[in-house]
Amino acid sequence: MKPFDIVIVGGGGAGLYAAMEAMKTNPALNIAVLSKVYPNRSHTSAAQGGANAALGNKAKDDTVEMHIFDTIKGSDYLADQDAVDVLCSEAPKIIRELENMGTPWSRMEDNTIAQRPFGGAGRPRCCYCSDKTGHTILQTLYEQCLKKGVIFFNEYFALNLSVSGSRSNGLIAMNMKTGKVEAFPARTVILATGGYAKMYWNRSSNAAGNTGDGQAIAYRAGIPMKDMEFVQFHPTGLRKSGLLVTEGARGEGGYLVNKDGERFMARYAKEKMELGPRDLVSRSIETEILQGRGFDSPAGTYVHLDLTHLGADLIKSRLPQIREMAMNFEGVDPIEEPIPVKPTAHYSMGGIDTDNQTRTVMEGVYAAGECACVSVHGANRLGGNSLLDILVFGRIAGRTAAEEAGKFTQGRITDAELAEQFEEIRGGMHASGRYERYGELREELGRTLALNVGIFRESSLLQKGIADLAELRERFKKVRISDSSDVFNTNLMQVLELKNMLDLAETVAAGAYARQESRGSHTRIDFPVRDDANWHKHTLATLVKGNVTLAEKPVTMGRYELQERTY
Amino acid sequence: MTVSTDQHKEGNKEVTFRVFRFNPQVDSKSYFDDYTIPVERGVTVLRSLNYIKEHIDGSVSFRAFCQAGICGSCGMRVNGLSQLACTTQVWDVLAKSREPGVIKVEPLRNLPLIKDLIVDMDPLVGKMVHYSNWVDSTMPEAQMGKKEFLISEEEFLRYDKATDCILCASCVSECSILRANKEYVSPAVLLKSYRMSVDSRDSMHEQRLAELVKDHGVWDCTHCYRCQESCVKSIPIMDAIHGLREDAIESRGKNDTSGSKHAEAFMTDIEKKGKLIEATLPIRTNGVVWTLQNLLPMAMKMIMKRRTPPPPPLVKSVKGIKIFRAMFREMTEHVKQDHKSHNK
Ligand SMILES: Cc1cc2nc3c(=O)[nH]c(=O)nc-3n(C[C@H](O)[C@H](O)[C@H](O)COP(=O)(O)OP(=O)(O)OC[C@H]3O[C@@H](n4cnc5c(N)ncnc54)[C@H](O)[C@@H]3O)c2cc1C
Ligand code: SF4
Ligand code: SF4
Ligand code: FES
Repeated sequence: MKPFDIVIVGGGGAGLYAAMEAMKTNPALNIAVLSKVYPNRSHTSAAQGGANAALGNKAKDDTVEMHIFDTIKGSDYLADQDAVDVLCSEAPKIIRELENMGTPWSRMEDNTIAQRPFGGAGRPRCCYCSDKTGHTILQTLYEQCLKKGVIFFNEYFALNLSVSGSRSNGLIAMNMKTGKVEAFPARTVILATGGYAKMYWNRSSNAAGNTGDGQAIAYRAGIPMKDMEFVQFHPTGLRKSGLLVTEGARGEGGYLVNKDGERFMARYAKEKMELGPRDLVSRSIETEILQGRGFDSPAGTYVHLDLTHLGADLIKSRLPQIREMAMNFEGVDPIEEPIPVKPTAHYSMGGIDTDNQTRTVMEGVYAAGECACVSVHGANRLGGNSLLDILVFGRIAGRTAAEEAGKFTQGRITDAELAEQFEEIRGGMHASGRYERYGELREELGRTLALNVGIFRESSLLQKGIADLAELRERFKKVRISDSSDVFNTNLMQVLELKNMLDLAETVAAGAYARQESRGSHTRIDFPVRDDANWHKHTLATLVKGNVTLAEKPVTMGRYELQERTY
Repeated sequence: MTVSTDQHKEGNKEVTFRVFRFNPQVDSKSYFDDYTIPVERGVTVLRSLNYIKEHIDGSVSFRAFCQAGICGSCGMRVNGLSQLACTTQVWDVLAKSREPGVIKVEPLRNLPLIKDLIVDMDPLVGKMVHYSNWVDSTMPEAQMGKKEFLISEEEFLRYDKATDCILCASCVSECSILRANKEYVSPAVLLKSYRMSVDSRDSMHEQRLAELVKDHGVWDCTHCYRCQESCVKSIPIMDAIHGLREDAIESRGKNDTSGSKHAEAFMTDIEKKGKLIEATLPIRTNGVVWTLQNLLPMAMKMIMKRRTPPPPPLVKSVKGIKIFRAMFREMTEHVKQDHKSHNK
């Protein structure tokens, strides 16, 4: 492969914006985007709600400053305040930029971009396009990249960075269509591979491929992961798939009911009932399930989200999407029957540790989007801030890499290195004797994470989780790849993704075990309150000689002092 | 047997998935493998395939990503119809299966086969590039981000539905022209082209149109409606195609050589096939004859000049259109059969 100036791994919102910005910054550069799925399939397309920006179209008195404060408070004060400044001040510009390029935003009566209220925001500042915001943003970016002639390597699976000392020589990836392992020598690499919440498997709202590949690649290369223990759970995922039933269902008056027919939210939030904040409702459902008041089924224990009392008319007119989801994925028509739901892992706040310019500790390696942790979300992300994050920092990554590429010499990747990778990834094809099944290991990974590193955490549970993970990693060594073909070997891809999840899960569990406090999404039964004196800091997890090693990093403060987070 | 009644209560059904197999590395010809598994209510075709892959045969290959009907990865033919595996309920398909208890799963048509249920999407992307499926903004890049374009609700609604497209290629797979001519623009690309053309922020409307009126472009469509009927997002693709044609005539003039030439060809085509219907189909009701004699020219005029209110007969006879469409489909079926028997 000819050498590149910039190789971008990931064709979601972050990767595509990076590509566009890099080309704009320096059109002479040689840039490639690699993605394991066609860019338009990336998980960014699943975001329905919208992206926050203080445009002031809906609430004239909205300001960037208010957005900054909401974000810091939402993060339970774990976000770095200088990074949040960047996120929120760039927001109006980037939303307009997308608009100028053709994103079909919904419109207000005065023909400006429409905005609506979203959780944790003091003003209605969430810009949207119906219920397909992420989809239309991704389409726009993909179209614009095609227009600019960005070079895409679609259906290439990134395997590892090639590293010499403190810098990277580029990337090693597998071409799915041929099974060949290919070298992408590059001056700079931008990782933009999305989140890792799929490690909770069918207890996750994420796409099958949100397996934290970029994070695992960086982790194996010795780059620290930051705040990995923070995983956001959404209260209402569908029982079978974990797919999201949006807040709308409860907003319109849906009930949460346990197997005794009781509207149990009365016990946890007497006034707000079903409309309490996300984390509280998630914890309440989980408590019902843990205390035996859920419905049992082969697909897991669940509670009911009951809409039947709302009537066919309202459901059809106001909640058609939710009805379609329930019918398509559970075979249940909410007009006639309650929807089976349980909390679902939704977003990963943690990720590759970067500075505000998206640089990692490794020279020439940058990270942006959900796979990175700048950190702008701290212990809890606000709805609508993630799309914003991938756009703002995707763009910064593209610009920074383009500006700095010249500083680095062109990397080289040897054939021997490729051959070694090829052998390594296909080892499982030769598994004989007593081998392990991919599906079983993945199932157990999801189960132990949900049980022991899930919504409620506690010392002994976490120890169990850590032990389980060690055992699973051991068993993984004997995993069998049951498809031996070179062409589009999806089974091989699944096994590689499982390996990435196993590597990363350890950092999630280790971080959760170490952090002896409750903050944002991280709830320790044995340490139920936020402990600023000891824990107002980021966790860093680095792979040292095969073991996860924890360190800490101070939180950058600014204009806002620590306060209790109440709504 | 008691077991089966229990199973019935539990809602389990034995289903045989007849899966299309082809691995170019070892197979010279495609074949089908049968996998029989119990499926409860609420399970999708994709979940069943995942189950088969994990528990029976890890080599069965297909694409899937979001599992929620939004990424467009899992397009395939289920009992002959192109759709998304992840939003298709097994029991629903079963109820309509020709062979009881059997569901046939095949790759999409009209795109090169890679392996099993996986087809190559590159040709489609290539067409998106060829027909400039992007907004070429009237705003210079350096000015971007400073202020919004003001866009009316009315304009937004013109392309709102079209932006639902997830590029799953189901419509591509069902398109009757593409079967004969792989160069044909494709319904999804026409849809996207239309979406760009009606966007007031776009500056290359004329160039795009100039490409669309050439060979393999918008005039090649036969109006068979198959794309629209199979669209997984229920997008009125035909409105886009009509819109583009109308636009072509309006902005390039009725005498635009390629445009009118193709319109002409289209008419002859229909007329020719219309006679074929009379000759081969047993249906010879008044309604049909009336439809063919009156409705077609009307419809064509409509297409040419859609701004004028539709002529009275058309308004009254929606039923007529339906009959005609059904006939048209049957007719294409006949043409296909004819072709097949000729080839044999
Ligand atoms: C159901 C749902 C709803 C959401 N709604 C909202 C919302 O309303 N508002 C909001 O702000 N956020 C929302 N989010 C979060 C938001 O969508 C994501 O955080 C964001 O889209 C992530 O974008 P990204 O560019 O970082 O990654 P992604 O869009 O996930 O893209 C990752 C890319 O990396 C590629 N990749 C991954 N691994 C590899 C590999 N090994 N080799 C090659 N390529 C690889 C993939 O192919 C893909 O192209 C939602 C998330 C979910 C799950
Ligand atoms: S109507 Fe036109 S584009 Fe649609 S399937 Fe028929 S020939 Fe193809
Ligand atoms: S138009 Fe419909 S069927 Fe065709 S690609 Fe788009 S969503 Fe799929
Ligand atoms: S898997 Fe995404 S549409 Fe089916």
